[in-house]
Amino acid sequence: VLHTTRALHTAQQRLAPLPPLPEKGGEVRYGLIPEEFFQFLYPKTGVTGPYMLGTGLLLYFLSKEIYVINHETVAAACILSVIIYGIKKYGSDVAAFADKLNEEKVAKALSVKNEAIKDLETAIEQEKKEQWRVEGCKYLFDSKRNNVAMLLETNYRERLLTVYNEVKKRLDYQVAMQNLKRQKEQDHMIQWVERNVAQSITPQQQKESIAKCILDLKALSKTAQAAV
Amino acid sequence: MNLSFFNQFTSPYLLGIPLILLSVLFPTLLFPTPNNRWITNRLSTLQLWLLNLITKQLMIPLNKKGHKWALILTSLMILLLTINLLGLLPYTFTPTTQLSMNMALAFPLWLATLLTGLRNQPTTSLGHLLPEGTPTPLIPALIMIETASLLIRPLALGVRLTANLTAGHLLIQLIST
Repeated sequence: VLHTTRALHTAQQRLAPLPPLPEKGGEVRYGLIPEEFFQFLYPKTGVTGPYMLGTGLLLYFLSKEIYVINHETVAAACILSVIIYGIKKYGSDVAAFADKLNEEKVAKALSVKNEAIKDLETAIEQEKKEQWRVEGCKYLFDSKRNNVAMLLETNYRERLLTVYNEVKKRLDYQVAMQNLKRQKEQDHMIQWVERNVAQSITPQQQKESIAKCILDLKALSKTAQAAV
Repeated sequence: MNLSFFNQFTSPYLLGIPLILLSVLFPTLLFPTPNNRWITNRLSTLQLWLLNLITKQLMIPLNKKGHKWALILTSLMILLLTINLLGLLPYTFTPTTQLSMNMALAFPLWLATLLTGLRNQPTTSLGHLLPEGTPTPLIPALIMIETASLLIRPLALGVRLTANLTAGHLLIQLIST
């Protein structure tokens, strides 16, 4: 049942949003009598009016025996004193407990909202970080590109070197072949000349040359002795 | 008004109009209907907290199907609690001191539990008539005794409530003279 209060059906019935509850209840004095009663009597009787009224009524009932003092009066006095003592002592605690229950309810709902907000904020920060990282990627890619270019260059140079070496080897081979050939020809020619010369030396020539040599030697030995 | 010791226990009449219904329904005025709001005033919050506490205590031992009894048990408990506590105030009438009301509460509820048990699980409910671990010669006697106790139960419960409350109130009055 929804208590929708409208003054004599003047306005449309509104189910939502509910009108807010008043912060405090009606003011009461002595926990029983609303303040409006005192205000009502104030213009005619002043401040002590309601108290005089109460005392007068009480005494009237007692004197005319409209209210008889019986065993229940004592019981009433005891019970009332216990109740009032209990309320005075534990009233604020109970009120605080009730407020705490409500606060916990509200806090639970608020915490859901706050946690959702916090999660979203952390998500935003992480997103920003990812964006920053993406910017940094440019430098990374540049350095990688440089690396790759260097590798390619090195590879190219190496291969150039191998090509040069191979070509040089083949040319050296050719040069060595030519040298070898010339050497062989030279050797062969020397040997042929020597052979022919050795063949051409007749025995007569040989004797003559030997005799000449001996004469030369003798002549030399004369001079040589002198030197020693 | 001259009061004897028993004025508290007579059913109240005003000019011949029985007020018994009013005195039984009065405690319902003290528990305002919970409205649509999420955060209510202190009274409603405290009452809701108390109701939740009582219902939890009642329903924890039961399985899911037993939770059907939650409404009637909790409301019965709160009604009796309020009626009895209000009877402590002076010049009040406690309806539960009337044997008729207690019997009216006890008989239907007891009969309902008995018949529900018999209909849904007849073997188990009849098996409750015999406590565990009885020696064999005692079994017939024990079954008679348990049946008798089962049938007497509503009388016992009703009279128990009446007697307790009456004794309590009388004691208060006796001490206060």
